[in-house]
Amino acid sequence: MLETLELKRTPFHERTSRLSVAQNWRRWAGYMVVGSYDLSLDHEYWAIRDRAALIDVSPLMKYMIEGPDAARLLHKVTPRDVLKMKEGVVSYTGWCDEDGKLLDDGTIARLGPQLFRMTSAEPSLRWLAMNAVGMDVKVTEVTDQMAALSLQGPKSRAVLNRICRDKLDPLKYFRVAENAIGNIPVSISRTGYTGDLGYEIWIPAEQALPVWDALMEAGDDYGITPCGILAMDMARVEAGLFMVDVDYNASTHTWIEGQKSSPLEMGLDWAVNLDKKGYFNGRRALEREKREGSSWKLVGLDIAWEGLEKLYGEVGLPPQIPSMAVRGSLPVMIDGRQIGYASTSTWSPVLKKYIALAHVQRPYYEPGTQLTIEITVEHHRKQTPAKVVTLPFYDPAWKKK
Amino acid sequence: MADVIIIGAGLNGLVAANYLAKAGKRVLVLERRAIVGGQAATESFGANFKADALHAGGQLRPDIVTDLDLTRHGLPESKSEPLISLLPDGRQLRLTADDSSETLASIRALSTKDAERWPEFVAFMNEAASFLDSAYRTPMPRLPHVSLSEGMPLAQLGLRLRRLGARDMFRVIRMLPMSALELTEEWFESDALRAAIGAVAVHNSTLGPMSAGSGYTLMHNWLNRGGPGNERVEGGVGRIADALVTALKSRGGEVRTNADVKTILTDDLKVTGVKLANGEEIAAPIVISGADPRHTLLDLVGAPELPPEFVWHTQSIKMRGAVAKVHLLTDGNHGLPNGTVIIAPAIRYVERAYDAAKYGQISQAPYLELTANGNVVSIHFQFAPYTLRDSEWSQARAELERIAVDTASAALPQLKASIRETKSLTPLDLEKTYGLTEGDLNHGQLILDQMFFMRPMPGWSTHKTPVDNLYLCGNGVHGGGGLSGASGRNAATAVLKG
Repeated sequence: MLETLELKRTPFHERTSRLSVAQNWRRWAGYMVVGSYDLSLDHEYWAIRDRAALIDVSPLMKYMIEGPDAARLLHKVTPRDVLKMKEGVVSYTGWCDEDGKLLDDGTIARLGPQLFRMTSAEPSLRWLAMNAVGMDVKVTEVTDQMAALSLQGPKSRAVLNRICRDKLDPLKYFRVAENAIGNIPVSISRTGYTGDLGYEIWIPAEQALPVWDALMEAGDDYGITPCGILAMDMARVEAGLFMVDVDYNASTHTWIEGQKSSPLEMGLDWAVNLDKKGYFNGRRALEREKREGSSWKLVGLDIAWEGLEKLYGEVGLPPQIPSMAVRGSLPVMIDGRQIGYASTSTWSPVLKKYIALAHVQRPYYEPGTQLTIEITVEHHRKQTPAKVVTLPFYDPAWKKK
Repeated sequence: MADVIIIGAGLNGLVAANYLAKAGKRVLVLERRAIVGGQAATESFGANFKADALHAGGQLRPDIVTDLDLTRHGLPESKSEPLISLLPDGRQLRLTADDSSETLASIRALSTKDAERWPEFVAFMNEAASFLDSAYRTPMPRLPHVSLSEGMPLAQLGLRLRRLGARDMFRVIRMLPMSALELTEEWFESDALRAAIGAVAVHNSTLGPMSAGSGYTLMHNWLNRGGPGNERVEGGVGRIADALVTALKSRGGEVRTNADVKTILTDDLKVTGVKLANGEEIAAPIVISGADPRHTLLDLVGAPELPPEFVWHTQSIKMRGAVAKVHLLTDGNHGLPNGTVIIAPAIRYVERAYDAAKYGQISQAPYLELTANGNVVSIHFQFAPYTLRDSEWSQARAELERIAVDTASAALPQLKASIRETKSLTPLDLEKTYGLTEGDLNHGQLILDQMFFMRPMPGWSTHKTPVDNLYLCGNGVHGGGGLSGASGRNAATAVLKG
């Protein structure tokens, strides 16, 4: 007999489903999560940028990596220098196949000398197990056992400080520490997917709801707002953060070379430690690419308002702005010749700009290069000026303070 | 400092060492045992109890003998002996790779028609074997990307195949995936004759004569033996290695025994040397391993140092040993006729012997090959699988010896009473003493998906590994399987090409 083909519900479903006016659900790694609580994204988006937004990120794939060779395993899997990583540090990283092409990206948190927590977007257990052959290390998937909340926004620290056993002030950007909310043991990392001040709270699944309730109560004075993943999608583009399956393809899901991406192409040069010791997956290919230069890169495109005004003016309209991030490929050109494409574009409410993450061929990826991007005005495809800029688009001073 | 370290003083390691020394390289061969020869060792198991431990015969490829001038360095005479199948009615089937009157008479006693076909069969098998010999000498490309330099020798091999003539080319290609049963059924009507050839086909393999691909292993064994029977070496197979060592020393090479390599040292996929069990480190810019690919890569280099996909492929190499040896010291009255004697009276007998291996059992009615050297009788026992389902090899030795002796004695009534001492080698001994993972003499099964450009694994048929300057030269790589030295020569060629 066929089992009911329902998406899994996160440990916060009892709360999120009741708060969701829009009932706008999105599928994420086999779970159903709230796309937006409201019919419009504005309220949730501005919670991220001005207040405190509470986002259910439980579907993130989570793995505990434990044993004498735990660091050695991640040192082999990722291009980060994990052997040198200190306890309490979180590293963002992509990881590659043997040809130096991205398989996935996520974070690794060193929780102890022989203990790490890794997050990923794609199922990674098999890949980790293949890499662990001959090592003394245990990899356990805890995706379903560990609930995760992302509390993002300038007021997130103040909210947490109200209810956490240990104040969050000493916790630096991309650090992690054990803490407690009430009598519930949690792990809190200063990480997120918004480019704002923010924290991610890792909670035993069975104690998820009391933590949600405590945060909602403590955040009330600060305007804490449950936030869906669509508003987060706008924020992450402003922060210059890309997404697997949207802005790049996992190399194992591609058919041809051209569909693959290297971390250098994706602008992760800072997270590829070619000076680290020993073998890691994709090292040779990445060294070669570093030496020879990437044939294309992911860059930011700042789409000029004047151009939009002109094109819409021609048909008698003010510029029309999409209400959410657009995950569609848009051709990017120079002198009428296509030299790239945008993979995600969005209106940035905080910057009052139309922006895009775009893949652009050498040599056109240098900051300041004037290109054009396709825009559809009243069913007609047009080109409008766009300038290459360095990422992120938005980088508030309080993010790292 | 040595230019090249070679792990293992087996025939392939020593052949590779000689070719490299001949080309002016300083070569150091490290052998973990106290004696050289690897699988081709002649060993003493007690007073007056000397035997060819694992192989009753063997011959290096004639071009290797010439290239390395081995006759001058004491390579012993060897002589092809007949295959003698002992039949239940007391008759003997005697087979040689020619149309000698003795052979034809022996076959005629079973079938006149078969005797008439024998010369043509021998001619065809010789053609097939010589094609295989050419293939083993041709460097295999790294599919799917064939470079021009790889394509040329391959094209020559294709031409060589074409020159067999339309009929034989077709027959050779067709033979590879066939079963020995199907093949022999097409040639002969006598079951005893089919069984004897079927036994040659599955010798050293974990296959039955009904297994697909036993046509290929027949071709392979026919090539390595030069016919159905063994190529016996005057004074023991170990003398081949002795000659290779002598030749190597004359070329300035060095062999160290009791030098047990525990680790191949690498730095970010570049070889830097080796580390011995006693802790000694020896640096070298190039290392060649004669050990099997799985042991070399997963144990000596270590999976953590290698790309994960490659590790997965290495783990997937099928190594399935099912050969055991039982050496008997007798008082001389063993009653064994001269030749390579086999107990394989019917094709279904051999297939059933193999069936046991599939289910993790020691064959109760095994296929045996018996060879005598003076008072010593060596029994080659198939099938005794490495992994026993209901027992452990530490417990099963007595059963193995009992079945071997009882089966042999049923055909050779004098044998049992003549036995003075017994020395058996189980598949576990093959692994522990001879370093053969899972007791696999071929360092990886000789089967269709592990041959030519898929040996030791797809994409890595060039003797290279993902580790720069680490090469493989043993039976597990192209050319390998048997005591021909072909994979050792091929590896040396690859090293010299760089």
